[in-house]
Order: sequence, then C-alpha cells, then structure tokens
Amino acid sequence: MRLTKLRLTAATVALGTLGIVAAIAPMVGGDTPVSAPAIGQADARKLPAPPPDGVMGFVVDSFVSPIVPGMDQCGGSTSPKLRDAYLASLPEAERIRLSRKENERELVGHWQASIFGPNGTNICSQPDMFDRPSIHTIQSQSGWGLDLDEGKAANDPELCVHDEFTSPAGERGIDNQEYRALGCILEFRGNDGNGGDQLVGMRQFFASGEWTQVILLRGVDSLENDPAVEVIYANTPDRPMADSMGKFLRGASFSISDKAPRHRNALTGRIENGVLTTTTQDIVLTQTWGQGGARDIRGNRSRFNFKRGKLRLAFQPDGSLTGMVGGYKPVFDPIQSPAIGGAGSALVAGIDCAAALGTLKRMADGLRDPKTGKCTGVSTAMRLTAIPAFVNDVPITAGQRSAAR
Amino acid sequence: MNLSKWLPALALSGVAALGLMMLPAPGEAEPGANQSAEADISDYRILAMRRLTEAQYRNAIADIFGPDIRVSGRFEPIVRPIHELISSGASGAAISPSGLEQFDAIGRNIAAQVFGEGRRSRFTPCQPRDATQADPDCARAALAPLGRYLFRRPLTKAEEVFYVRLAGEAATPTGSFHKGLELALASMLVSPKFLYIIETGHPDPAHPGEMVLDGYARASRLSFMLWNSTPNETLLQAAESGKLNDPAMLTDRAQAMIASPRFEHGVRAFFADMLLFEKFDELSKDPVIFPYFNQEVAQALPEQTLRTITGHLLARNGDYRQLFTTRKTYMTRALGALYHVPVQQSNGWVPFEFSPEQDRSGLVGQAGFLALYSHSGRSSPTLRGRAIREVLMCQEVPNPPGNVNFTAVQDTANKSMPTARIRLTAHNTDPACTGCHLITDPPGLALERFDGIGAFRERENDAAIDPAGDMDGTRFTGGNGLGTALASSQDTTLCVANRALEYATGHPVKEEDAIVSLEKQFAESGYSIRALFLKVASAPDTYRVKSPAVEQVSTQASLRRR
Repeated sequence: MRLTKLRLTAATVALGTLGIVAAIAPMVGGDTPVSAPAIGQADARKLPAPPPDGVMGFVVDSFVSPIVPGMDQCGGSTSPKLRDAYLASLPEAERIRLSRKENERELVGHWQASIFGPNGTNICSQPDMFDRPSIHTIQSQSGWGLDLDEGKAANDPELCVHDEFTSPAGERGIDNQEYRALGCILEFRGNDGNGGDQLVGMRQFFASGEWTQVILLRGVDSLENDPAVEVIYANTPDRPMADSMGKFLRGASFSISDKAPRHRNALTGRIENGVLTTTTQDIVLTQTWGQGGARDIRGNRSRFNFKRGKLRLAFQPDGSLTGMVGGYKPVFDPIQSPAIGGAGSALVAGIDCAAALGTLKRMADGLRDPKTGKCTGVSTAMRLTAIPAFVNDVPITAGQRSAAR
Repeated sequence: MNLSKWLPALALSGVAALGLMMLPAPGEAEPGANQSAEADISDYRILAMRRLTEAQYRNAIADIFGPDIRVSGRFEPIVRPIHELISSGASGAAISPSGLEQFDAIGRNIAAQVFGEGRRSRFTPCQPRDATQADPDCARAALAPLGRYLFRRPLTKAEEVFYVRLAGEAATPTGSFHKGLELALASMLVSPKFLYIIETGHPDPAHPGEMVLDGYARASRLSFMLWNSTPNETLLQAAESGKLNDPAMLTDRAQAMIASPRFEHGVRAFFADMLLFEKFDELSKDPVIFPYFNQEVAQALPEQTLRTITGHLLARNGDYRQLFTTRKTYMTRALGALYHVPVQQSNGWVPFEFSPEQDRSGLVGQAGFLALYSHSGRSSPTLRGRAIREVLMCQEVPNPPGNVNFTAVQDTANKSMPTARIRLTAHNTDPACTGCHLITDPPGLALERFDGIGAFRERENDAAIDPAGDMDGTRFTGGNGLGTALASSQDTTLCVANRALEYATGHPVKEEDAIVSLEKQFAESGYSIRALFLKVASAPDTYRVKSPAVEQVSTQASLRRR
C-alpha cells in the first residue's frame, strides 16, 4: 500500500494534476505504460487509417484480470489463508496456545484436518459440500470492467440487482462481481496490492501459446466511427513468435481454428470515437491450466465462458488494441484452478475454495436459474491488449457457401 | 601413373596409409583403362582428384543404399579458396587425421546398417554356404557391385581380391559372414577412391599435349555437376560402353539428365556454392536488436533463396537475369513475420509474390542475402556492396587495410550521424578507405531500407533513409532499382557462366574466350539455366585438361562483351 502511494505521488508530480488516477490505473494487469489512456478509451493522438480492404488482424498478447491497485481496496489486508482463518475461528485462549511455536505441529494438524470432509472429500474438490464463512471482499467502489447490464438489472429476468463499480477512468455502472468477491485473496491481489499469482500465472499460461487468441475485424471503414464491423474473436493453434523477453511480436500470421478444444466467436460491433464495442452475445474461448498430460492436473482443459459477453476495445495510434472482454460466468469457473488442484490447493497454498465459492454465490448477479430463481453466475471482465497480426479465418466450406446463398 | 601432384596432399592428410595401399600396383591396369580402347593403357593418368562435399557424400549413400540409411557424423569442411568455388577447393582438399576418423566412424555406421539383419538381403545376392564363416564367392558377388557404385567404376582385379580377402579375414574372428562384409564395406567407404572423385584420362590424339577424361571420369563429372550425386547405372553403363566419349551421345545423356527432376539437386548445389551458402552456418544476430531472427528463420533463409532460384529458373524456365528482378518467392510462417506479410498456411512453404511497393527485387531483396551480408547488430552497405560485386558479378574487391579506423561506421547510436550513409561518408574521409568504398557502397546503400536481418524500415535513428544507389555509372533507387541494374549488367551473366565452368571442371577457368563464348550461347538461349548447363556438360573442353599449371584468373571486368 505504501508502495502504491509512493507511486501515485511520483506519478502526480510527473503528470501534474491531470487525470492522475485514470492515467495510472491501467498499468496494473497489463503492459500498458502509465501514459496510456484508460481502458475503453481511444488515444486522442491520430489513429492510423484503416487498410483499403477493411480487414484487420490482431493477436492478443495480454489477457489478465484487471485490478485497481492498492491494499486499501481490501481494507488494508488480503483475505486470510486457511491456517489464519482457522486460528481466527478459535476462542482467544486456544488461539494464543496454538499460536505458540512449540504447538505448531498441533496447529497444522488441526487446520489441515478442517479441510477434509467425509468420504475423502475436501474443500477444493467438493467446495459446495462445505459451509465456510465468506472471504474478505473488495471494500472500494472502484473497479475495472464493463457495464454489462446497462443499468437494467432490475428489469432483466436473467440478472440480479447488485452494487456496481465506477472505473478509475470514471465509467459508471461497471459490473464485475468476480472481482468484488475474489479481488482480496492473496492470489488475486498479491502481497503488494498490485496483482498476485493469478496475474503471473495467466501471463505464463498465455505465453505458452496453447490458447492463443486472435481477433479478426472485417468491414472496417474508419477507426474513428463505423456503425457496422464484423468481429471474429477466436482461438488459434498457432504459437505466437516472441522476443527474448517473451513479448509477442507483431506481424506474424495465425490461422483460426473452430475445432475442439478451440472456439470461434462471430460477433458484430460498431466503432464510436475510436472504440469498438460488440453487441451482447455469448463468447467462449479455450483455456488450458498449464501444460501437462491428460492425467495430470496441469494440462487440464476448460473454457472461458462469457455469457451475454461483449468486447470493448480501443484502437491505439501504434496499431494495437486495448480494452476488455466481459460477460457472466458460472460461479464455479473462477475457482477452477484451485478446484483442479484439489486438496493440494488447500494444504499447500492455503486456499479456501469453499469460502470463495460461497462468496461468489452470494454475490452472483447473472445466469438466473429459472427453477430456483437464484443467480448462478457472476459478472467478470478480462483486460486484454492485442497487437497487429495476419489472421486467417477458417476456410468456408462448400456447404456453408451454398447456405449463405 | 603420375601421383607426384597428389602425394603431398595425401601424405599430409593422413589418407596415405589407407589410400596408397589400395591403389593398383605399378604396371597394373588403371581403373579407367579396362573398358576403353581409345588409348594405350600405359598412357592413363590421374588428372584430378576432388573430395566429395558433404552433400555429395550423403546423396551418394542415399542413391546407392537407399534414403533410409542414416548418415550421422561431422564432416570436415572443404575450405573455399578466395574468390573461387568450394568445387575448386575440393580439388585441393585434404583430410586431416581427425577428419578421417570421422569418415571412418560414419562409414562403419553405414556399413553396419547396410549389412544389418534388416537390410542385408537387399545387398547380398547370394546365400553364404555357412553364415558363420567366410564365403569368398558370395562375398565377391556382394562387394563387387557395391564397389562399382562407390568407386564409380568397376573394381580392379586387385581391389576385388583385397576386399574379398578382407571380408573373409573378418568373418573368421567374428563368426559372421555378414560382419565380414560389413568391415569390407566400411573399408571401401573410407577409401580415397570413394571419398575423392578421381578423374582419370589419357592423351588426346586430336589435340597433342592435352589430356581428355575417360568414360568413367566423364560419368562422374556429369553426375556430380548435374545431379550432385554419384553416377547411376545408366551412366556407368554408358561409360563402360564408351558412349560418353561420343559427343552426340554425351549430349543426349546430358539432355536427359537436365530434363530429370534430379537436375534441381544440381542447380541447388551449384547456387549454394556460388552464393557462399556455407556462411549461413555461422550466421548469428543479436536477439535484442533483431527479435524476429530465430533459429527457424535462420534455417529458412537459404531455403527461401534456393526455392526462389529453382522456382524461377526451373519450374518457370525463367531468364537468369530476372532472378534479380523477380518478386516471386516462397514463404513460411516464420519468414512471414520477418517480412511482415501474411502467410495462409501454418506449416511448410507457400508461393508468395511481393508487391512492387515492398521494394524487394530478386535475390538481393531477400532476407537471406540481406542478413548474410550484414553485421550481427546492424546492416552493412559495404558488405552488401562487396557481395554484389564479388558473388553476383565475379568482380574482386580488395580487402581493407589492417589499420582501418571503424569508429565512425560502428557508432550506430550517434544521433549526429543517424544513417549508415552519413556514417560511411564520415568514414570515407580517410583516403585509404575511399577507393574501395566507392566500389562497394553505392550499390549497397540502395538496400539500406532493409535492416541487419532484411526487415523493411524507412528510418534509422529517426532519420529518413535515402535509398539512392549507383553502380558503374547507373543511378537507381532502392532494391527494385538495384535489381534492374543487376539484371541489365552483362557482368552477372558472365559471372554465372564463369562459375558454371568452374563448377564443372573443379578449377577456376583461365580461358577468357571460353567464358565469353559460353555467355554468348547463354544469351542466345534466353539465359536459360538448363541451356547453360547443357552447353557446359556437352562441350568437349569440359572434359579436356590442358595443363596442370595453375594460372591467375582474370578479373571479370576484362571479360565484358567485346
């Protein structure tokens, strides 16, 4: 927190009094420099002309959960780990006794026993079988994301009313309940408040090239304003070229794949003031948890689900795109990684999957189950940046061609 | 037998012990003599010896034993003489003791595969009486045909006896007839008669004082020149029957070989030699400065150039001069990123054509040439200009003096001298440098819009790059202009004609008239590479040796059309 304040101060000096918070915030969760515009805002500098054929390709080079930096977002500290949560649940005398060094073995035995249930169940593999207190959640009203419900949650039968964030750039109505629920766990926020293992892990997974994402735009007449643009947001099996620091290189070619486990999302969008926004539509993208065999928890495949999702991307003068993809995802999706890790996630990393799932359920704001009437999904957003690339769409089959006629 | 010329090389190389014991005893019929009645046996001479290149060795093994035989090992490189081809270097190439050890290991490994259980039936036309003992008749039946292919002529009686005896002596202690064959084959593979193309000949009765190659030497010359591999059965039979001594029949054979798809191997080998492709083996770039350069790109660069050459000259039967202007090439995904062009296919090569605006004209516009003739961290108009002069136009450029001050040209971060043109101008204030730089830099500067790995750029250190160029009084702009200038220069066509003759004969060509005449015929054919090689392959002079004395080769400048 102190570090963050110092950084703010230095930036304040450098930038004067102009839009300090908005200017600084985007640096978290991406490689965007401090001077870049806020997410979803086109750079005021001159945008390049669109290509004559109106076709533009991009490869996504960063795809992370956006956080507003600082430990003050969480009331000064991250959510306690299982060991500390167990201690906190004890009467004071017992807590003091078990906290002594000579009783460490006993303490470990107790808290580790608390993660297991009957018949070999545990709080990460079967989190919904455990009733745990909620984890610490975001205390601030500031958060990144997209306005998914456009302020109409109360009138939408699929949504549940909830608090909304205002982005550091000043955008109101931001829906990101995943961030609100999990933004204060250590893996999300990190020791310094600037991002934790999840951020690092996402970067590593993404750099592996196993679920590379590409964006293909067609029919672009202007990067400033265009009422109709075709947007293909998809996976490719092609691994990006990277420099010696692992940074993806511009100008490489990729081929879209719509064969499992990869996905191709055909969207429509419009460009207003240099910002591309797609219409609401389900978006699915592949996700691989690390690299490993099918029997290994690493290499386990899952998906990014963005129900009722949309993209909001700003064109930049250097030809890149910055922005967000958002939507609603099932409440279980955010804890997929520790759930795949099973008891190890709890024993080694001290993650309380059951508490996290309970909190997510409590904060669910979408995917209402018509039978129960309860919302089963949370709003979410990922910050992405994409650099120019040559993207080849899947070949159109003869059947598709005749169907199009 | 006149071995005096070759003895020093053999002795120095350590081959002597193995090689000389295998040479026929004095007075015994020479290898090429037993099938020709054109000259007296006693007149036969070894006229030249050329070491097989690595590619020729590999191709020969694949052709004789099959492509499934693995050839694994390190090949001692053949040193390129200054301003000459590696083919000329092969004529004087020795083999060091460690190089011979490598050949021995490679040969033993090949022999073990050939006579291993899985393949031996393919190469043993008979069943030994007892597979645990020697069987001279069966060994002879197996080894004589293989020896004929490996030595590119029938084995002499003495050689046959030697290898059969060797197989027999090895079969006894190993208790295996096939182990005996394996050892005999390994011995053949390390023999100088395999490792060297030994060209034999006799006095030419029609041209007193001159020697002509015999049939088997002609077969080898044709085969290695046109297919870069050992003579096949057809060629060996043609040699045996004397058909290759008949100019018409030799021309027919050469035509058939040039019409074969295997001619592409020969064309690739020729241009890899002419364009100094061995330099790709040591090509390295600073990964921080050039992130687009990686191992995949490094491996693709020479292949792109060769595909461009064979695609233009063979597949499209194109004019050689247009090799400097064509925008058609082939692309991979890795190269596509360097060139910043789309590549549809994820794997392999796809045809590609640059647009005129991309300023990539022919060979000099390709990243292979541009990267090869640059430094590891920056481009070099001087290296590029020198390569244009020496490699593509066969003009010799003197080496720089040893005490040159390179400070100005190496200071690439100096904002007061942002472009290479400005830095070279500063460098050339030294009169000792100016002379050569006036030859090299003007053509090289036209390529300055391509950085040290051949990626396009318009600015250097934020300063606009001026791509103006000049060559022998012709002014042009950029890569397209340079390509047009090269295509218009007779020096490029004289150069390739010169190199084709050198490649065929294994030594620099001294006769200017021969080059000029060949280039004229090349021009009459529409600068067809097939026609050029047919002329070389069918010309009587290609198989005639005038004098062993080495003379200085004239510079290209004096050869321009007279």
